[in-house]
Amino acid sequence: MAKKTILSVKDLNVKFNLRGKILHAIRDVSIDVYKGESLAIVGESGCGKSVLNKNFIGMLDVNGFVESGEILYFGLNGTEAPGQAVDLAKFKKERDWLKIRGKEICMILQDPMTSLNPLKTIGSQIAEAIRLHQNLKGAELKKAVIKTLEDVGIEDAKRRCRQYPHEFSGGMRQRVVIAIAIACKPKILICDEPTTALDVTIQAQILGLLKELKSKLDLTIIFITHDLGVVANIADRVAVMYAGEFVEIGMCEEVFYDPRHPYTWALLSSLPQLGVKGKELYSIKGAPPNLFKHIEGDAFAVRNPKALKIDFIEKPPFFDITPTHKARTWLLDKRAPKVEPPEYIRNIRCGKEKRG
Amino acid sequence: MLKYISKRLLRSFLTLFIIMSITFILMRQMPIEGYFQNYDKLSEAQIQNGIRMLGLDKPMPVQLFNFYKNLLKGDLGMSLRYRNNVPVTEILAPKIPVSVRLGVMAILLALILGLPLGTLMARYKGKLPDHLGTAFIVFIQAVPAAVYYLFLQLYGTELLGLGLLFDPDKWTAWILPVFSMSLGNIAYYAMWLRRFMVDQSTKDYVQLAKIKGVSGSKLMFRHIFRNAFVPMVQYLPATFLNTVIGSIYIESLYSIPGMGGLLVDVIKKQDNTMVQGIVLLFATVGVIGLVLGDLLMVVLDPRISFGAKRGNR
Amino acid sequence: MALYRKKAEKLQDSINESILKRMPDSEAFSFAGFDEQEVERSGYSNYSYWRSTLHMFLKNKVAVFLTLIVFLILLFTFIQPYLPNQIDPFLVNNDPKTGLPFRNVKPNDVFWLGTNSIGQDLWANLWSGTRTSLFIGISVACIEAFVGIVVGVLWGYVRKLDFLLTELYNVMDNIPTTIVLILVSYILKPGIYTIILALCLQGWIGMALFIRNQIIIIRDREYNLASRCLGTRTYKIIQKNLIPYLISVIMLRMALTIPAAIGSEVFITYIGLGLPATIPSLGNLINVGRQLMMSPDLRYQLIYPTIILSIVTVSFYVIGNAFSDAADPKNHI
Repeated sequence: MAKKTILSVKDLNVKFNLRGKILHAIRDVSIDVYKGESLAIVGESGCGKSVLNKNFIGMLDVNGFVESGEILYFGLNGTEAPGQAVDLAKFKKERDWLKIRGKEICMILQDPMTSLNPLKTIGSQIAEAIRLHQNLKGAELKKAVIKTLEDVGIEDAKRRCRQYPHEFSGGMRQRVVIAIAIACKPKILICDEPTTALDVTIQAQILGLLKELKSKLDLTIIFITHDLGVVANIADRVAVMYAGEFVEIGMCEEVFYDPRHPYTWALLSSLPQLGVKGKELYSIKGAPPNLFKHIEGDAFAVRNPKALKIDFIEKPPFFDITPTHKARTWLLDKRAPKVEPPEYIRNIRCGKEKRG
Repeated sequence: MLKYISKRLLRSFLTLFIIMSITFILMRQMPIEGYFQNYDKLSEAQIQNGIRMLGLDKPMPVQLFNFYKNLLKGDLGMSLRYRNNVPVTEILAPKIPVSVRLGVMAILLALILGLPLGTLMARYKGKLPDHLGTAFIVFIQAVPAAVYYLFLQLYGTELLGLGLLFDPDKWTAWILPVFSMSLGNIAYYAMWLRRFMVDQSTKDYVQLAKIKGVSGSKLMFRHIFRNAFVPMVQYLPATFLNTVIGSIYIESLYSIPGMGGLLVDVIKKQDNTMVQGIVLLFATVGVIGLVLGDLLMVVLDPRISFGAKRGNR
Repeated sequence: MALYRKKAEKLQDSINESILKRMPDSEAFSFAGFDEQEVERSGYSNYSYWRSTLHMFLKNKVAVFLTLIVFLILLFTFIQPYLPNQIDPFLVNNDPKTGLPFRNVKPNDVFWLGTNSIGQDLWANLWSGTRTSLFIGISVACIEAFVGIVVGVLWGYVRKLDFLLTELYNVMDNIPTTIVLILVSYILKPGIYTIILALCLQGWIGMALFIRNQIIIIRDREYNLASRCLGTRTYKIIQKNLIPYLISVIMLRMALTIPAAIGSEVFITYIGLGLPATIPSLGNLINVGRQLMMSPDLRYQLIYPTIILSIVTVSFYVIGNAFSDAADPKNHI
């Protein structure tokens, strides 16, 4: 099956101006997002996952700016550029973004408790989205609101659309937020840690709902998360991010069962599910690098116990492992010594072989 | 909700009761000169007679009880020095509408000018309109009202070609007093509205509204303004208080025949019963303002349900 | 400094390059070893609350300038009487030729700002008045802070007092301040201490409530509970988690009380309940000036006191706000 690219990021550099100091938040990031897939972007807090995605809908904070690079969006089928790409990185004005926001790309925020307007009824907040993008009025609009609420699994939708957000629980509110997002009929849905603020049982429900909606509405979903459990559950493809750049990109299976970058190893090793009983759980030492400073070589080298000398000197390029799997580490260079992944990772592999 | 409202009303009654009692008791501690028209010329017997007539010789609880009994009948006592032996209520009655008219106009003007100013400042945060507005707010809040009222009167009357004295039939005569009185509230509204709008604009739900494609001006009014206005309601009662203080100054400066100007007059004449009556009236206005602010908040914010019902979890 | 840094960077670059050139692949691809201390350093921050606060405050040039002005005015009110050629503010100056007092003399060499309607020197009166007004303002601010903190601490710690004081607060908070001001000034003998008492009577309770809430927060806020669970002693929690926030809000309240108190003095003097005319204060001076303001020749008697008054009140207001902005850790980067 030929994959159609819907969004293509090329050599993107995003910087922030913080009281005179420049913070380099996204460093030379390139990635293609394919139509209909679900891509997960994984990484520690502060690695730039959210910042990257905010660029796609023009929600970057006022002190942030795109320094160079392109964000090509192929989904726009308006009159201006049918079938052609628009470069979102060049958008400056509010008016430009109004063509994209909601209708083309929509986003679900992390905390459902705060992402609804407390003074408006659920119904009117969904209606606002429908009115903006579907041109419905009166009774039809009302019907559409109720239908949308039912679509996200809210029972007794007729009554509930007259209620206020404070009358809903966290999980229900996240369903409402999803309802608002799908009411816009977007092509790409960005989910910024959609389940982090919810408890575990609700998490599964919400993920199930998103999966269901994805196939029903033919959505492209970009997941931002630090929860690898979520990734395994829902993602087709995984991109691992560290200090503002991707270090490994591959199909979900490939990244989970055959990780190559030391950071991916470290990340997987710190999953509690993979820990060995009676042994201390692995944790990555130290904190991510200071992005105010220029980073020399591989950003993860300082925290990598098995770093090579060259890691401190020169930034590694991407090495292809399979056509869909690539990683940015010198370990894949043919001159590099053979380094075995840590025990935990070998365990996953064995487990797969046994099962497979 | 009903429970909350009745509790709130009860508390304000209690407050008023305490203010009244304290005022009454303190007033009885004043030198007795304050209860006679021309104390120096009266003979000892006349004074004793007067004290008995006014009930000042009775023990304090009895006096207090009589005061409340009369109050319920709508009797605030007699003016003794300002105008001899005229009921306080009779003197106040024609003055109240003047003050109310002035106060309402000042509050309306403050809303009409203050809310747009605050919105403008929030919209252009960190830019020129914001800086100009902030300078205005700092000036009005920091400099005592007495000072800018004086200068407004001084140069305003020259500019408009008006006499110093107030003439209720000439509409131009209302401009300066109403504008002066509204200045404090304009700054107050603008300051709080700006602050709340800036607070609200960084909230997640505003982000979500923006993401779903709501454009700038709609976002500003439908989401940010309305949500910023609700917490502002809390601060509206202060409007009443500001207006009361303003009216004391302004009415006396422009010789407007209202209650504020009257208070200054009766203080200068040391008419105890009159001072007591007007203080009570102003305290009532202030307390009512606070209650109104709280009740308005209940109406506007659906989250305040006072434990009546909770969300289905 | 910047030049030096650039140089250092260049040097580093060239060293790196030469290493890469000289270093054979076998060496470049060998393990670098792992320095655990180096790892932890990447997350190290040298943040200090008070240094950042001071830094932020000094960045606000207007506030720094006004602080200087207030300081100089305060200093000057004290040294002014000892300067040469000063006239006693209470002295009624008579013309030696006619024996009549110098009434409403325009500013000249002897009377720098002219004289008032009974022949007193306005310059001397102005500074004496500023001294009185500042004294009132600062006293009120200090008394309110002191009483407020003491009551607030009791309110927060003694649980039995909580109900009583909360009810007291609910009642007192409802009483319009102006009414208290008028009532107290009307009943007591006019004087500086009456005014200070009238102004303090209500202000302390707001401060007390604030302190009480903070104390309850020490008990209940998660980060403090966490600190306590980690074995941090109470005094350390108070010192590190509470005092910084507390001091900044107390300072803000005090800074805003001063202009408010000075303004109230002007108000209460205007309605005839303020200081007796024999004590110069900004309120008295403005009141006298007001009566003369309709004759343009004498308007200077109103304008000079209002200028000083405005400078003082605006300065305190701006300094207070600038300090509280600077003390807010959210603004520290």
